[in-house]
Amino acid sequence: MCLQVALPQEMLRLRGLSHRWWRPSALGIPAKNLGLRKVASGVSPPGSPSRRALNIFDRDLKRKQKNWAARQPEPMKFDYLKEEVGSRIADRVYDIARNFSLALDVGCGRGYIAQHLNKETIGKFFQVDIAENALKNALEMEIPTVSVLADEEFLPFRENTFNLVVSSLSLHWVNDLPRALEQIHYVLKPDGVFIGAMFGGDTLYELRCSLQLAETEREGGFSPHVSPFTAVNDLGHLLGRAGFNTLTVDTDEIQVNYPGMFELMEDLQGMGESNCAWNRKALLHRDTMLAAAAVYGEMYGNEDGSVPATYQIYYMIGWKYHDSQARPAERGSATVSFGELGKISNLMSQEKKSQ
Amino acid sequence: IGVGARVRPPPRLPERLAVCRAEAAAYGRCVQASTAPGGRLMKDLCAQEFEALRSCFAAAGKKTPRGGL
Repeated sequence: MCLQVALPQEMLRLRGLSHRWWRPSALGIPAKNLGLRKVASGVSPPGSPSRRALNIFDRDLKRKQKNWAARQPEPMKFDYLKEEVGSRIADRVYDIARNFSLALDVGCGRGYIAQHLNKETIGKFFQVDIAENALKNALEMEIPTVSVLADEEFLPFRENTFNLVVSSLSLHWVNDLPRALEQIHYVLKPDGVFIGAMFGGDTLYELRCSLQLAETEREGGFSPHVSPFTAVNDLGHLLGRAGFNTLTVDTDEIQVNYPGMFELMEDLQGMGESNCAWNRKALLHRDTMLAAAAVYGEMYGNEDGSVPATYQIYYMIGWKYHDSQARPAERGSATVSFGELGKISNLMSQEKKSQ
Repeated sequence: IGVGARVRPPPRLPERLAVCRAEAAAYGRCVQASTAPGGRLMKDLCAQEFEALRSCFAAAGKKTPRGGL
């Protein structure tokens, strides 16, 4: 019944091939220069490749929304989702048995990942976000950090700088995701790793459907209120095209119960996650809101009157190529057939005897 | 993610909706029924149910004093 909104990456695949990839001009990072530095502006200059290629989201508005959210008296009230996903990213960092001297968080918000990591694992953390209020109100952490105000689409760092790049729930607002991933690959050192999380296509499907149904019944048509998301099978291609190796992509769902639809929408605003797509409708009609809340409660509501909201999260891991990394064996070099996999223990013991 | 630009419901909206639970459920059922096979959702299909919900909602806004129920 409910329609999926066109995915930006699919549109990009058609159009993006015609233009050259943009490289960030390396500004360098003086290591002693700690603290807040203004490096890049959040607005892409008019006529830049990204504007011609793809421009779905109003980045200026997104910056305002995030700044507004971070300025609220109790921002931690709305941090639950980013806290959770930040800790899961941190788990994945700990899964890699290695220490990282220099790490970068792209779209860090208030530092949801760094607070779950320790200074033995990460030497120094560079935190990048487009909202200065988020950087100023960063959560406490033990790792020495450098906050950099910059757009995720324009990373102001030199090639081969970082051992680790992480990103949590921020890349879904990027206009040019392939280029953003390419830039992350660019600033990684060889054998460096990128660990990211972003919202997936099933995120908030209950809200999307309720709004569509209510708008159709009240106004005779609907417009998108929930932003378009990337499909999971595109993500692997995008990572591969950006140059990443040994990819891992998996999806996870987090379901949160809210007292009602109004509270859910209030929380989304508090997270700085209100829609900023250019084609959004400026105002949701009051009647339509009421109708959508009624439909939401009836179609998805729990027995106790609360309503669930689903957040689908894609986790991705990609490595920058290095000679030391394990590679697949050459074609035809196998000595055992797949058909004999069932007898693998016999084969192993035979091999041991012959040695 | 996100929803329309200006989402700032007056604080008492949830309470008012709770008062009109029966009307909301009736409207919701009407819309949901139209999504079943053979059903067709169109403008004002559930106008009657919505009118009941809206008038209840408006009345609840007037009756409840500041700070909810």
